[in-house]
Amino acid sequence: MAHHIEGSRNSCALHGALQVIEAIEGVVPVIHSTAGCGVQHFLGVNRLNAGADRFGGPPVSNSNISEKHVVFGGSSRLREQLKNTVKIVEGDLYVIVTGCSTEMVGDDIPAMTKEGRDQDFQVIYANTPGFRGDVHLGYQLAVKALIEQLPSLGKGEQSPIEGLVNIWGIVPHQDPFWAGNLEEIGRLLEGIGLKPNLLFGYGQGLTAWNRVPKAALNVVVSVWGDAPALLLEERYGAQVLRLEGLPVGSAAGRFLQTVGDRLNLDVTRTENFIKSEEKRLSTYLASIADTYYRAGFQREFALIGESAQVVGISEFLAGTLGLIPRTLIITDNPPENVREALLTTLTGLVENSGTEVFFSEDLAEITDIVRSAAVELVLGSALEEPVAVELGVPFLQLSFPLSKQVVLSRGYAGYRGAATLLEDFGSAILSKGYNSHISQESQVHTASESALYGS
Amino acid sequence: MSEKHGKHIAIYGKGGIGKSTTTSNISAALAEAGYKVIQIGCDPKSDSTTILRGGNDLPTVLDTLREQSKVKIEDVSAVGFGGVLCIEAGGPVPGVGCAGRGINAAVELLQELNLFEEYKPDFVLYDVLGDVVCGGFAVPIRDGIADRAFVVTSSDFMAIFAANNLFKAINKYAPSGGARLGGVIANSIQAPYAKSLIDDFAEQTGTSVIGYVPRSFTVAQSELFGQTVIEAAPKSEQADVYRNLARFIDENQDSVIPHPLNGPELKKWARTWGDRIFEVETGVVQKMESI
Repeated sequence: MAHHIEGSRNSCALHGALQVIEAIEGVVPVIHSTAGCGVQHFLGVNRLNAGADRFGGPPVSNSNISEKHVVFGGSSRLREQLKNTVKIVEGDLYVIVTGCSTEMVGDDIPAMTKEGRDQDFQVIYANTPGFRGDVHLGYQLAVKALIEQLPSLGKGEQSPIEGLVNIWGIVPHQDPFWAGNLEEIGRLLEGIGLKPNLLFGYGQGLTAWNRVPKAALNVVVSVWGDAPALLLEERYGAQVLRLEGLPVGSAAGRFLQTVGDRLNLDVTRTENFIKSEEKRLSTYLASIADTYYRAGFQREFALIGESAQVVGISEFLAGTLGLIPRTLIITDNPPENVREALLTTLTGLVENSGTEVFFSEDLAEITDIVRSAAVELVLGSALEEPVAVELGVPFLQLSFPLSKQVVLSRGYAGYRGAATLLEDFGSAILSKGYNSHISQESQVHTASESALYGS
Repeated sequence: MSEKHGKHIAIYGKGGIGKSTTTSNISAALAEAGYKVIQIGCDPKSDSTTILRGGNDLPTVLDTLREQSKVKIEDVSAVGFGGVLCIEAGGPVPGVGCAGRGINAAVELLQELNLFEEYKPDFVLYDVLGDVVCGGFAVPIRDGIADRAFVVTSSDFMAIFAANNLFKAINKYAPSGGARLGGVIANSIQAPYAKSLIDDFAEQTGTSVIGYVPRSFTVAQSELFGQTVIEAAPKSEQADVYRNLARFIDENQDSVIPHPLNGPELKKWARTWGDRIFEVETGVVQKMESI
């Protein structure tokens, strides 16, 4: 049944596509839609994270169509906009992305793209009207457009590249830590002798994208990476490795072992690398042990985020740190078949802990769930801050949208991400006072300790 | 819209059925009877009012809107036979843009320009293209525009099909203040069964036929002269047919919300008529009224 959604954190397909394009170096988006589409992307997405990417934000190229383009067709306006953009913004590739109105009217985007190419502009297109779906679909549509249309520009590499691994399913900005997470996954893969193809972020331009078909393995971090991986499997026969979520902490070790098995890598090298990473994380864990017990890190928590984040982070918090996952809320609307698997994984994290898993993108519903769960720690987006304040418990912003932190290269994936997560959620607990988890009466007994450490 | 000026009437029907001819002749007949009439062609082909104004060029509302930011009524209207004010909404070239939105934008502009307040017409006739394919073409029958809609149909199944679609649209909009159906205009009546078939369709859908326009050589001839029958052959029988239609529209205010047939019902209904016509053609004798 239809129901209203309050404060959704999932923007539209056009925005998802823009997030893909803006995160690739040298690729310039050209929006063919009404003026609001580009501005809304800045206000609703860019501004909430670390700011706009190089070609994003308010100055993004947009055909800004008006009523006469709806009535008479907007193709000629797009033609003009493409020509102007090529003159003003230097780029290796221009990607036309469409909004709702131009798709309703049925402007012939492939024809305009072809016209651009006939004039030697490097241009491709993706049909991304918001009515087709949300930000996650936009990610898939833009990635698909790149995979399918880049080879026709004639710059695809022909020979396979040994040990090349593409990483899919981390939606730039929808995962606020996308850049850091990708870099860490890349570092781990390099550690066992592979060549990661991160595709988004620093140093990731058309060279990386032209290598996509030559990868031996496609790693899928969330269900949203399934479509590109399947397309590549079908077209080029590349293997697909699906993860249940972001590999955080020891899960990263298991991830590397699986990759090693799949690609027949040298087992000793892989194991040695994992061992050294584990050792480093263990050292950090040992050094925080004292604070862990004194500040009572072991709490019942609520975690609100996208499926890949919820799986990876709750697995680490529960499995390695002994926290109790009380309420897990998944906000990215994964398909039904994936929901079953997620439920099995998440409810089985800690036996008999009564972990409850919800699927919702409705702020009102999410707030009610968290409020009634009476948890001792809330990890979620900026939208969950009020309910955390209401409950008087420590709170950490870690899913989209963020409001109080700048995120550039930090991430929660891998071994380094696990340490960062430990720092961030530990700081969140400490910032509420050392004894925030202990009831008023018990606090009397520990007053001397508080005085000692300051609260 | 503030105070309403004149009776606003929308005329629909399948493309090529003779809608514009019928509408223009009704406009001419109303003008001849002394009324102040505006006819607005809501079709990208923009040929609704051609025979009212002797085939002269008339810039369309949308074309003018595209060329210049400020549009005046004088730029987009022409005075035709009997003082009928002729306006063509216009639209995109076939296969491009959105004609539905075009109709919407043109009607909105005419309202903004206070056309009806200033011209104070007795009648405004909207001649809307073919089938009601999307929301834009239903604009004239939505709340605040036309009060009544008439549908022109022949006895061809596809014309009946289009009429039934219009009934669906009226059925949707009428409860919220949109136009109701004034009646069915049976056009191009030639085949012996045509009248009975259209009568039966009207009965099935809870509507009524307000006039029968026979297929006529006079109409074709007048059109070739770029004129309505009222102008070219005022004394002809055909001119009286249109005068009667105009009188009916003027004097009769009845309107209904039709009950359109759904897909299978319409198919079944058509099939029974197929059988009946076949029997007539092959000489099966049985009791059948008016065939």
